[in-house]
Amino acid sequence: MTSQTHRPHPSLDDPSISIEDVLRESIVDTVPVARTEREAEFYTLGDGELLLNMGPQHPSTHGVLRVVLKLDGERVVDIDPVLGYLHRGVEKLCENADWHQAICYTDPLEYVASLFCEWAPVMAFEKLADVQVPRRAEYIRVLTGELNRIASHALFMGWFALDLGGLTPILWSFIERDEMMDMLAAITGQKLLFNYYRIGGVNGDISHEFMSRLGDWMTRAGHQVEANTGLLNENEILVRRARGMGVLDKATALRMAVTGPNIRASGIPFDVRRAHPYSVYPELEFDIPTRQEGDSLARYLLRMDEIKQSLRIIDQCLHQMPDGPVMAKVPRLIRPRPGRSWAAVEGPRGMYGTYAISDGTDQPFRMRIHDPSFVHLQLVSLLTPGNLIADTMAIMASLDPVMGGVDK
Amino acid sequence: MDRALRSRLERRFGERLLGPVVQRHDETEIRVSAGDATDTILALHDEPDLHFAFLADLAGVDTGERMQVVYHLWSETSKDWLRVVVDGLDREAPRCPSVTFLWKGAEWMEREAYDMFGIVFEGNRDVRRIYLPAAYTSFPLRKDFHLPDDASRSPGRGVRPMEESLPPRDATPATNLRRAQAG
Repeated sequence: MTSQTHRPHPSLDDPSISIEDVLRESIVDTVPVARTEREAEFYTLGDGELLLNMGPQHPSTHGVLRVVLKLDGERVVDIDPVLGYLHRGVEKLCENADWHQAICYTDPLEYVASLFCEWAPVMAFEKLADVQVPRRAEYIRVLTGELNRIASHALFMGWFALDLGGLTPILWSFIERDEMMDMLAAITGQKLLFNYYRIGGVNGDISHEFMSRLGDWMTRAGHQVEANTGLLNENEILVRRARGMGVLDKATALRMAVTGPNIRASGIPFDVRRAHPYSVYPELEFDIPTRQEGDSLARYLLRMDEIKQSLRIIDQCLHQMPDGPVMAKVPRLIRPRPGRSWAAVEGPRGMYGTYAISDGTDQPFRMRIHDPSFVHLQLVSLLTPGNLIADTMAIMASLDPVMGGVDK
Repeated sequence: MDRALRSRLERRFGERLLGPVVQRHDETEIRVSAGDATDTILALHDEPDLHFAFLADLAGVDTGERMQVVYHLWSETSKDWLRVVVDGLDREAPRCPSVTFLWKGAEWMEREAYDMFGIVFEGNRDVRRIYLPAAYTSFPLRKDFHLPDDASRSPGRGVRPMEESLPPRDATPATNLRRAQAG
């Protein structure tokens, strides 16, 4: 993928063009020909405004994201995110794989919480093929999913502090995250892209090693969470830089189709686990934490509250898990009858959805993947204007986008 | 399945629906034409006994014969996901009304549908490519775009009419000017 603006300038060899022309043209060159109303508005510079390119290799953009900033001094006037540096065409690849193979393409979408990216397509395919999942498999899915949610939120805590200039929390959070990833690796066989859920169940029962490590970890997990959040929650630098930043109100959150912790931090208790229950969540007790402020600090604190609820869910799963098979009888090659299905799960960043269409063959006819990070990244150009460049990063970090999911 | 929602939808949108209300598992599906799309979605969003205020997803679909735009909506008034299929868009020049006036967050999803299918959303103020480079000329999720060749042998390759009217992207404003001066 090449950018038109990064080529050597064609007129550098042409002696009839003066250096002033080249310089003037180079500045104009970075401004594309406006094709839409929004683009025309963004690339029309007012008095004293300038454009600054940030990324795609900027460390605080959490992946490969390029952002064009329109600045007035050090204040951000407007932002135009440029996507596509990680685009792999996952939807097209899935349409060219069979139903089972398509699941493994969805893992790398969200490399921080990849179990949720598998969960949505697996549920959609099960609906299409009318597969009944064994209850033990459902409990294992919830157990591993919540573990992955904690791992993701722990990493968020580190990232958020890192973008605000604190280096210690990410080292602390990686200790916990590594332990969780090792536990998941003990049953899934992989440490990052698990590829564990299957159409009709999960790939293998939970092992003795996993159970003993989880038991050990659960006894000290609550204390660890307290210790880690104690490092940050009362940190004056963090609180002062996050409070009142990037305030997202209720009406805007609905209008922007926001989901997950970001909408709950704005006071709307929308959680797919309760709003449209799936798996065995109706049998489990947990609260949906909400906050009214809608600022960066609320989004951070809400995720820390969710870790505690996830620990509650894991505890209940361990006590209620029934015996039995972990996999339904599903043939190696399935041909679901023609139809359409949509399934959504609540991930650590918001709602992951999959819309699948079957035409009766062994391959998906169309597979649409809905990723929350993609929707949430739109908020950046809404929440950041008026702030300093450094705070832009803090607001972006509090929305917790992962570029693998944004670019698909 | 939410039977009550089905009768409510049939009563409210009866003659507008293209085909019956389809229900399967926890999903309810209705089909409307592009001309009725705005009114239908506005009614679903605003009327208190429907109140589908939450946009879950927006997807483009190429069936091979025509294009569709598919919305998934959620409401606290129903246990089901509601799927609204805007059906029958012309494959050569698909156009669909935008829902950005209701959900600004649909802007990028519509941009993605344009990028992948070439569906132009009327009323979206930012319909340009989002993932692929601006100079790219194909719409890769269309059914006539085959893998693994990068459109080079696909029937779906090449410049489409709606892009021909735009200036070539690799030309700088200055070269455009020179070209104009050269006649």
